[in-house]
Amino acid sequence: MINTQGSLLSGRNLERRFGGLLAVSELDIDLYPGEILGLIGPNGAGKSTTFNILSGFYRPTGGELHVLGEACTGSSPTKISRRGLVRTFQHGSLMPSMTVRDNILLGTMHQLSGRRRRKRVSRAEETAEMLGLSNYLQEIAGTLPHGLQRLVSIGIAFATRPKILCLDEPLTGLNYTEASSALQVLEKIRSDFNCSILLVEHNMKAAMKICDRMVVLHHGKPIATGIPEDIRANDEVISIYLGKRDDT
Amino acid sequence: MELLLQLIVTTLQISAVYILFSLGLTLIFGVMQIVNFAHGHYFAISALITVYFMPWLVAAGFPAAGAYILSGAFGVLVAALLGLATYYFGFRYFQRDMVGSFILSVGFVLLFDGLFLELFGGAARSVPSLVEGTVSAFGVYITGQRLLLCAAAVSTAFILYLILMKTKLGLALRAVSIDQEAAMLQGIPYNKIALAGFMLAAVLAGIAGALIAPVSIVTPAIGADYIVKGFIAVIIGGLGSIPGAIVGALFVAVIEAFGGYYYGASTATVATFFLVIVFLLFRPKGLFGNG
Amino acid sequence: MANYKIQSWIIFGVLAVLTSLYFSNLYAASIVSSVAIAALLAGSLRFVMLIGELNFAIAAFVGIGAYSAGVATTMLDISFFLAIILSGIVACIISVIFGSITLRSGGPYFLLIGFAFTEAMRIMFSKMEVLGKTSGMIGIFPPLWLDDWLSLSAVIICLILLFALYAIEKSQFGIILRSIRDNPDVTRTVGVNVLYWKVACFSVASFCAGVAGALQAFSNNVISPGDFSYLLAVFVLAYVKVGGESSIAGSILGAVFLVLLGEFALSMGAGEHIFYGSAIVIAVLFMREGIIGIVFSVIGRIRITRTAKESRA
Repeated sequence: MINTQGSLLSGRNLERRFGGLLAVSELDIDLYPGEILGLIGPNGAGKSTTFNILSGFYRPTGGELHVLGEACTGSSPTKISRRGLVRTFQHGSLMPSMTVRDNILLGTMHQLSGRRRRKRVSRAEETAEMLGLSNYLQEIAGTLPHGLQRLVSIGIAFATRPKILCLDEPLTGLNYTEASSALQVLEKIRSDFNCSILLVEHNMKAAMKICDRMVVLHHGKPIATGIPEDIRANDEVISIYLGKRDDT
Repeated sequence: MELLLQLIVTTLQISAVYILFSLGLTLIFGVMQIVNFAHGHYFAISALITVYFMPWLVAAGFPAAGAYILSGAFGVLVAALLGLATYYFGFRYFQRDMVGSFILSVGFVLLFDGLFLELFGGAARSVPSLVEGTVSAFGVYITGQRLLLCAAAVSTAFILYLILMKTKLGLALRAVSIDQEAAMLQGIPYNKIALAGFMLAAVLAGIAGALIAPVSIVTPAIGADYIVKGFIAVIIGGLGSIPGAIVGALFVAVIEAFGGYYYGASTATVATFFLVIVFLLFRPKGLFGNG
Repeated sequence: MANYKIQSWIIFGVLAVLTSLYFSNLYAASIVSSVAIAALLAGSLRFVMLIGELNFAIAAFVGIGAYSAGVATTMLDISFFLAIILSGIVACIISVIFGSITLRSGGPYFLLIGFAFTEAMRIMFSKMEVLGKTSGMIGIFPPLWLDDWLSLSAVIICLILLFALYAIEKSQFGIILRSIRDNPDVTRTVGVNVLYWKVACFSVASFCAGVAGALQAFSNNVISPGDFSYLLAVFVLAYVKVGGESSIAGSILGAVFLVLLGEFALSMGAGEHIFYGSAIVIAVLFMREGIIGIVFSVIGRIRITRTAKESRA
């Protein structure tokens, strides 16, 4: 039993091999209550693989995973989701043929199963309102512009009222205004709903702005963990990812 | 002991046709992500053409072997043409659409069933053996004809192996099977490759049909008997996997040979099915599947 | 919008009942029954398409239902309505077992193993002494008092089940099913047990298929293994595809259209296979949305023209 010390999500020495390829290795990661943790790194660094491991879509070939106090190494996504960790996907994290309302309703299904239909509908409507989607409830999700689709995906995941929300590049494809309001929503989720957030993000400015801490991956290994200021100043990080100091 | 050897030989001989069948099915699935229910009809048309033309050629004065080879080749050609037609007018619009392509293939099955019946009549035909006599070794018997069938099937499978492993086309086919987008990014012309894969599969089925003609009674419905077993073989082996198709075909042949001997053919079919269900419990995607 | 649909169902239901009352001579009544049963089967097949799977095992469950009804009636003296419910239940139970294993694989595996299952069941039916082997079972009659009302009963039972399928599809159960089809990964990650709901969907559909089989047994009075080959699944697929997958109305329309047309074609001696085969190929290649798609687009165009006229006025 590893020492998780109050962390909601703990990975120790996580590893994932694909045949000869070591996609992720020696990964230690913790997510503490009320924090927003950023997972960054160049393309191919292993961010998606890490995400898949933490959410149960990949079984780690080494190491241990604990979600909300329970050992979940190798557990299925459904099981991990029921512990309280829900994720979005980088592409197409929604049901394109269904209405926005039905999409978000799906997120309420498991928690509020049974005869509490009214509750499901009201939670879905609440979630939509938080994300600014109230006017789009009857639209078919696949016909919406990209930015709104991203919000719908967040809505589906958030409708489960998770304790840990894992967002895979939530801001990709959003313009400045959309990204700002999305960040505001994430802030609100963190503070009003007692939810910790783990995000993968390419948009460095946004990530630095909103994350409390960050983990930098390179070739599948974590090379730096800490607060944004420290990451920004870290030489190794700068050389492999941020380029020249002036870019930030 | 003799019985065991005999059954093993029977297995190998049954598996010959199943292997050619399942290789074609898995190739199409691997390259195009579709299931072609009408695959058996490429097989059937080739067999039908072979039994139809061979007696005609012999009557016209050709020697038996020559007549067989000519009609067999013609059968394979027609099978390839049928494959081309179904691809060009149908399947190429349904790549990666498993449900749509399956439904289309089902339509083709009914259509061809009816057409073949009209064209060839319901009567069963066969052609006389090319090779008379029985070969025996270690107390095991196999007719010369069936031995020829096995040899031809094995050589065809081997040639296919060479094509897949040693030629550019084969490399492209395998690349597309593994990752279509990546293959396209590498400059592989997907549509051409899909057509090539489809035709290759149809030709395999055609060859199987031409080979079966001398050892079996040929009716327009002959495809149906083999298609079930062919599909079971690729389920076991895993859709899209070449080695899987061979292993699956061998498995089906083993049950048919041993089960058929002890319990009868149809019981063996039922047994095959239940064994596959149990197998799917442990390996939902087959042995080597990437479907 | 919901009221509009319920209205349509009521109108349709009344029409169906009236039709079956009108056609009371034996031949016409049997066609009405065939249409009703075909519609129910099409609805059942389409219901499984909601989770994105093609249920090629449907013929096996029709056979299971039919033989259950046969056994219940001729050997166990169970009454008509009870026999029908029982047939549905037996089909349902077997489908839960079959589905729990095969729906894990899904996709082409589920499709092909369904086909193999149909063949295996057909062979089993033809080997079992108690089921009459290859000759099948005879003497499956509804009770005397129901004799003249059999086609009406079939229509009512099929209507009820079709409406149930429709209601489920529109309910929140339906949302789960369509999510499984559209995006099983997202569905999984929000805590839904995908396999459980797939099996639930499949078992509901198989219950309907079993009932349809029972109705077929009572309607024809004789059944044999050959009635339940993969060809049956092919015909049902034709009904769904030609009618249009987008709505259950399509399944009903497709069944009505093809069964009636089929009867007509048969009476002209045309090849049944060529007929159905061409229907499928044409529908798949040229009528992707089926008959119902054409109907909806015509209605849509009428609406647009009407709105245009109103806004000009």
